Amino acid sequence: MVSEAIFDTINRLLSSHMLESKLLNENEIYSEVSLASHKYDCINIYNNIDCVLVDLFGNDTSEIDGSITVYYTFAVRSSNTLITLYIKLDKKGSMQISSISKEIPAASLYEREIKDMFGISFTDSADSRELVHHGNFPLKVHPLKKEFRKNTRLAFEKREQSFTSISGTGVFEVAVGPVHAGIIEPGHFRFSVAGEPIINIEAKLYYTHRGLEKLSENEDYMKVLLFSERISGDETFTNSLAYCQAIEKINGITYLPERALYSRVIFAELERICSHIGDISGLCVDTGYIFANGQFAMMRRWIQMLCEQLTGSRFLRNTNKPGGLRRDFIMDNKKLILDCLNNLYTEFNDTIEIIKNNGMFIDRVEHTGILNNSIAVDLNAVGPGGRASGINTDVRKEFPYAAYSKLKFNVPKHANCDINCRMNVKIEEVIESIGIIRQALDKMTDKGSVAVEIGKLKPYSFAFGMTESPRGENIHFVMTGADNTIMRYKVRTPSFCNWPVLCHAVNSNTLTDFPLINKSFNLSYAGNDL
Amino acid sequence: MYNAIKKLFQYGTVTVDYPKKHIKSSYITGVPKFNYDKCMHCMKCKNSCPTGAIVLSDNDGQNGKVPAVNIDECIFCRFCEEACQNDAVYFSNIFELAQKNRNDLRAAPLIIQDEDVSVLDYELLGKQLKENVKKFYGKSLNIREIDAGSCNGCDYEINALSSPYNDIERLGIQFVASPRHADMLMVTGCVTRNMEEALIKTYNATPSPKLVVAVGACACSGGIFKNSYAGRNGVDSILPVDVYIPGCPPRPQALIYGILKAIGRS
Repeated sequence: MVSEAIFDTINRLLSSHMLESKLLNENEIYSEVSLASHKYDCINIYNNIDCVLVDLFGNDTSEIDGSITVYYTFAVRSSNTLITLYIKLDKKGSMQISSISKEIPAASLYEREIKDMFGISFTDSADSRELVHHGNFPLKVHPLKKEFRKNTRLAFEKREQSFTSISGTGVFEVAVGPVHAGIIEPGHFRFSVAGEPIINIEAKLYYTHRGLEKLSENEDYMKVLLFSERISGDETFTNSLAYCQAIEKINGITYLPERALYSRVIFAELERICSHIGDISGLCVDTGYIFANGQFAMMRRWIQMLCEQLTGSRFLRNTNKPGGLRRDFIMDNKKLILDCLNNLYTEFNDTIEIIKNNGMFIDRVEHTGILNNSIAVDLNAVGPGGRASGINTDVRKEFPYAAYSKLKFNVPKHANCDINCRMNVKIEEVIESIGIIRQALDKMTDKGSVAVEIGKLKPYSFAFGMTESPRGENIHFVMTGADNTIMRYKVRTPSFCNWPVLCHAVNSNTLTDFPLINKSFNLSYAGNDL
Repeated sequence: MYNAIKKLFQYGTVTVDYPKKHIKSSYITGVPKFNYDKCMHCMKCKNSCPTGAIVLSDNDGQNGKVPAVNIDECIFCRFCEEACQNDAVYFSNIFELAQKNRNDLRAAPLIIQDEDVSVLDYELLGKQLKENVKKFYGKSLNIREIDAGSCNGCDYEINALSSPYNDIERLGIQFVASPRHADMLMVTGCVTRNMEEALIKTYNATPSPKLVVAVGACACSGGIFKNSYAGRNGVDSILPVDVYIPGCPPRPQALIYGILKAIGRS
């Protein structure tokens, strides 16, 4: 109903420019606009409707209409609606569109990604440097175009890549990575420092770019499910859930067995607990607080053991499938889960009390790594990082999926913006998650099926799947091709949104605080690089 | 302080004495096995395998050509188990899968394509030093981990080796911050284009004699990310690998088994 009202508003706002407009999958509005007016239209929507830019991606639709389609997706978080404006670019044409990155700062990284993957250039953009390929890709080769074969072996080129540099007396640069001192993923950071304080930092990522989106092209949807599970190891379940939800929407499956919905909630929350405890444990390591690290590592292992006992995988792999769950994992394990959660609840609270009373630890995390609310809003910060800076957003509340609409829980509200605040958000979320799982176990029926047949995929249809991953809002776009294949799988994980935000939070802190700030966001490199 | 000490007494030692005592393994997902008495040769398992790990082979020379699995390519997705109507495929609890030779993991011999042949001549050097390595690192070992394009599942499991439960330092093994201090490189991921140079530089920075361990299906064979424009098919396409640890991701005990195998202690 609300979506329909917004649909009318958009039709009114863009009346003269709109070529086609439709409302699909209950809450997704798709409007085609012309190449000439799209910049004006995007800004019009952005300014007049209370929405944020959540996705911007290309799609080579040449087998349907001989063009490349570029989608601008805005989320109206207050009323559960996604607005997608799309433009069609002739493949033989100039492949140029005007950039919106100066008006909507969050668009900048998306535009650079599209430029690398599709060869579309954005005129008048804030930043047009290479992003994905590190200057080793031959010019004019763009992997996500249909004519590019996914197993092509390309020669290595060497183009120098520039960093934002700051000059002046006493300013020098520190280069870190891609191989780091700890056991973490690869990424390169270039710090400009004057003495200890950091003036500017630039992150060069995409070291783990495996070509996941291209590999998913023209593959059977069940194989793409496995790709979705391997986007980021510790977000296995939530990523596969977003993918499954998109497929279910495409096939018009609105009803799933209750048992499947509640099981999904339980696994998604177990994953969140595991991830958050891991983050807090990491903060303790980086402050040299080994006792607390040991405690949290022990609790994290309890959850991983529980996951393994339930599903056979410590990372909840092989659990989800479009239409429900692969098997009935909960069965008569309710007691096992409850026992584990009860232990966790007492132990977690005890340990939190200990670390909160440790002045040396709190000194390190308080007033460090401050992320201003205005920057967080402009760059669309999501997840605990955003929530600690006053952005109250949670997909579980705003775009309810699985059984979340039937469960009671609170989203932590904070605005202190520092590491301590982000840690507090995570602590509160762990407690909320334990509550959610208890409710779900309580409301779940003891018997019943956990999956429905989804049948043959509807060809050339598309939908968004959204979940709240431990790191924040997670959006997957799926477009099907013929014969149960996937034509385009676009993944936007929360890490993609939060990396530029992290770089701003680091400024004016000392170099030694960087690992701590990095850990307080705990972003996934693999989830960003794909 | 009092509370912290109380906790220390409450839990005591939680470390699992893994290599000495076997761990409880009823729910562990191990390597897929075939029951050839039930197999109807319908090839549904082979067709359902997303990485092409299931092949037809005639290894024992008795049953004729039957399906078998290349463990280095297997990502343990259970699709074969679900596809089989006769329950001829089942997942065992065997997780100690590490092997020094990749062919020992495979049911079908490895065919190396020309483009994947290593251009570095480190391999020869590595072979000569291998014997010395065993002698030098009998008791203690320093490891440097490199992520060359994994999904971070393997990295979390390697991280878990230092947790109280596995506490790998009790075996004289520790993770170090620089390749200059390392005796062994643990490489995860399929080796992406963007990480190739960094991986080779790290390898060169490690003093000889050195060991390389490939962790996870991606590092062993490319796994599900095989034949991508953005990466290679595993670590052994650019570096000589001493031990392969299959799994997606391999559990911490499987990693301990692999590390100890590399230094000849298991």
